Amino acid sequence: MMADLISLLVGIAIFLALLGLGFFMGWNREQRHLRDLRRREQAMGDMGVTQLKSFPGSVAGPLPPAVFFGETAIATDYFKSFMAKLRNIFGGEVKSYQSLMERARRESLLRILEQARRHDYNAVGNVRYDCADVGGNSTLRKTAMVCILASATAYYVARRPR
Amino acid sequence: MIVTNTETIAGYRIAALKGMVQGNTVRAKHVGRDIAASLKNLIGGELKGYTELLTESRRQAVERMLAQAQQLGANAVVNVRFTTSAVTAGAAELYAYGTAVWVEAEPGTVAQP
Repeated sequence: MMADLISLLVGIAIFLALLGLGFFMGWNREQRHLRDLRRREQAMGDMGVTQLKSFPGSVAGPLPPAVFFGETAIATDYFKSFMAKLRNIFGGEVKSYQSLMERARRESLLRILEQARRHDYNAVGNVRYDCADVGGNSTLRKTAMVCILASATAYYVARRPR
Repeated sequence: MIVTNTETIAGYRIAALKGMVQGNTVRAKHVGRDIAASLKNLIGGELKGYTELLTESRRQAVERMLAQAQQLGANAVVNVRFTTSAVTAGAAELYAYGTAVWVEAEPGTVAQP
């Protein structure tokens, strides 16, 4: 009887500790990532980005167009998973996972832009996002995580249309 | 070799169609990565191991696709697309496919393939 009570209390304590760890660490890491994204997006502000098939005004400059890829896998945290499980009971928008998807997409696009910039391109067209199924069949257990595979064709545009 | 995910290449004319080329790879993550990922799922953050796995798989699939294109005597691959499928527990397939073509620079441009 006493042992049952103790194991129950320990279980609850572990749960609360993980929830707190997920909340504080996860929030901290998310904010840091968002700050990093904002800073890098600002640095890439002068790159032309479109998902049109060809970049308007692109010419065959010194560089032929080339494809670039950006992959990102982002983990959830215990707090987000817990909130999502709750949301699954009542239904509705799962905000905690929405931000994960957004971060993965922005990160993937930035990785493409940074590669393109390194190769002296100044615009990317035909941006495509794919959702890669890597951990969906995890050997250990089904873990919620976001894998985004983005591709885009980098162009050299002599004069960007305004 | 010019590789794009668009059907046409600005400044180039597709002179000959060589055929569809493809490359695939099935990769498994070692169990350490799975364990690290499940720990990372408590505190959040980027899953560097899985990102690496994706990058490696994509690179290998594209390399195989380009090797095929080279065999067909193409100098460009256009309309490159990707698809992933979970073949079995703990392994993922990445499949890249595109159309191998021979392109020529439009007259009046400086670019060479």
